[in-house]
This record gives sequence, C-alpha cells and structure tokens, in this order.
Amino acid sequence: MSASPIARQATHSQTIPSRRVLITDPSQMPDVYSSTPGGTVYSTTPGGTRIVYERSFMMSLRHSPISQTPPKCPLPAALLKNPGSVPASQISVQKPRSNSISFDESLETFSMDL
Amino acid sequence: MAGNNTEEVEGSATTETKATTNTEVPPEFLIKHPLQNTWSLWFYDNDRNKTWEENLIELTTFDTVEDFWRLHHHIKQPSELRQGHDYAVFKQGIRPMWEDDANKMGGRWLISLEKKQRNSDLDRFWLDVVLLLIGENFEHSEEICGAVVNVRPKLDKIAVWTADTSKQQANIEIGRKIKEQLGIHGRIGFQVHRDTMVKHSSATKNLYTV
Repeated sequence: MSASPIARQATHSQTIPSRRVLITDPSQMPDVYSSTPGGTVYSTTPGGTRIVYERSFMMSLRHSPISQTPPKCPLPAALLKNPGSVPASQISVQKPRSNSISFDESLETFSMDL
Repeated sequence: MAGNNTEEVEGSATTETKATTNTEVPPEFLIKHPLQNTWSLWFYDNDRNKTWEENLIELTTFDTVEDFWRLHHHIKQPSELRQGHDYAVFKQGIRPMWEDDANKMGGRWLISLEKKQRNSDLDRFWLDVVLLLIGENFEHSEEICGAVVNVRPKLDKIAVWTADTSKQQANIEIGRKIKEQLGIHGRIGFQVHRDTMVKHSSATKNLYTV
C-alpha cells in the first residue's frame, strides 16, 4: 500500500532547508569545487524525487521494438483487438501493427519468450 | 590456455552484437522506462449473473512506459468495447470503488461525452488521461488515485479520481491540467464520491468546476 495517497501524506510538502553564509575573505571559500560556502549543495528534495514523463516523450516510445511486443499476461479474448478462438499469443502475431523492420525483431523476441 | 581462448572468442562476439544493435536502434529504445508508480488495469464486465464486485477484474499491472504501450497496442480501445463495459487504471493497491480506503474521502473530475464523440474523442481523451496519470504530470500527483472510462448507451464518461475532496488547491490544479491537456472548452465538474453514492450522477452537485 505504499502507493496509497493517504500513506504518502507522511512525506508530503516540506520546505527545502537553507541558510545564508557571509563571505568576507577568499580564504573562507571551500577548497573543493563541489562544496558551497558553509556546507554542501542539497542534491535531492526532502521526501524524495519523482519520475515525471512528458506526453511527447512517452509518445516517442510508442512504436519502439519493446513497446510493440505482445503483453505476457493472459488477457480475456473478448478484450483483444483481433477476436477469435485462437489463443491470445497467436492473435497478436497475426496482427502486425507496423510493417517496419523493427516489427520483425519484436516477433523474434516474442518467439524466444515462448 | 584453451579455456582462456574460448572466453576471448565469446567476449568479442558479444561486443560485436552490442555494437550492431546500438547503431540500428536509438538508445532510448533499448531500455524500459520505469514509472513512479505501479498501475493496475481493471476491466468491468457487465455480466448480469454476477454481482458488481464479481464483474470487476484486475487484468494486470504495469510499471514501465513500454509495458503500458504493449497493453495499449493489444487490447481494445474504449470505443471498441461493448456498452456497459469499463476500463480503469489505478495505482496498485487501490480498488476502483468508492469503498476503498484510498477513495473514501475522495471525488472525481467528470468528463461526459456525447454519443457522437465516441468516434472522435473517446479513445484520444482516455489515452491522454492515462498518460497524464502514469507520467505524473500533475503538480499534486500524490492526490491521484486513478481514472475510469465508462462506455454507456447514452453518455460515455471519463473520470479522474482523487483522494481528498477537501484539498481545493490540489483538486483544482488537477482539473485545470486535465481540461488543458484534452483541449476541452466547456466547464468540467468535480463531484464528491459520497454525494454520487446517494444520488444519480447527473443530479450530483459539483464541489468545484473549472
């Protein structure tokens, strides 16, 4: 249930801690480039980061070879795009959605899965 | 020594294969892109011999962009479903029903589609809504529970379910984003599940509108 929005409220919305440091002399600067005066840079946000994908990026993956392979999980025949009495796997093979070279590759990948 | 030689041969063969693959396929196509959440795809069958809950089936889960597309390419679009059927995509662990703990205090942004929109807009709206969800495109995406599409004789409906109706700012941001993404010009309303439970949905008052 970690995905539950209720459970997630525990880590919801905190401000990023910050403080100001006054530098009066070059000798007070840290000697490594990866540090800021008075401490290190915060590289993550409190509560963690989030994986965000723009619509356009997800659309660009729509016809990738992996995205074309049939799902492995059993699905009711009534829900498959090409209805019939043949098993789900064969239905998928019979219905190429693209005639590009990449589709042939996905077919091979699928046979190996069997 | 013989063993070493064999290893070297195998090693160089592997390198060659990899090099070939890299030149033909863009690197983005070689990996699966993980989603922030694992999502469940649900199907509602309207078998009259079964109870409402028995008709609700969790078909599968997915947690990468590619696994979502694999499903999308191989199952029927909403417009191809029989009337009375639903799809739902919810965060794993949340059942697409008001009674679930994650939905009890929640509500939904409701998009009603006229019959003529089944061919023009239904499938496009549903895909865009699901992409908004799984891509975590809302500022308050932690408030999202899931989305449902109902294919019905009169009005087809798409709804985005959120967790807490009292969070006005979060819910309004979600509603505005949906409207903007789908290019809806009219107003859409947000309904509280507890109100929908006791009244017919068309009679339910909107808590928010955008």
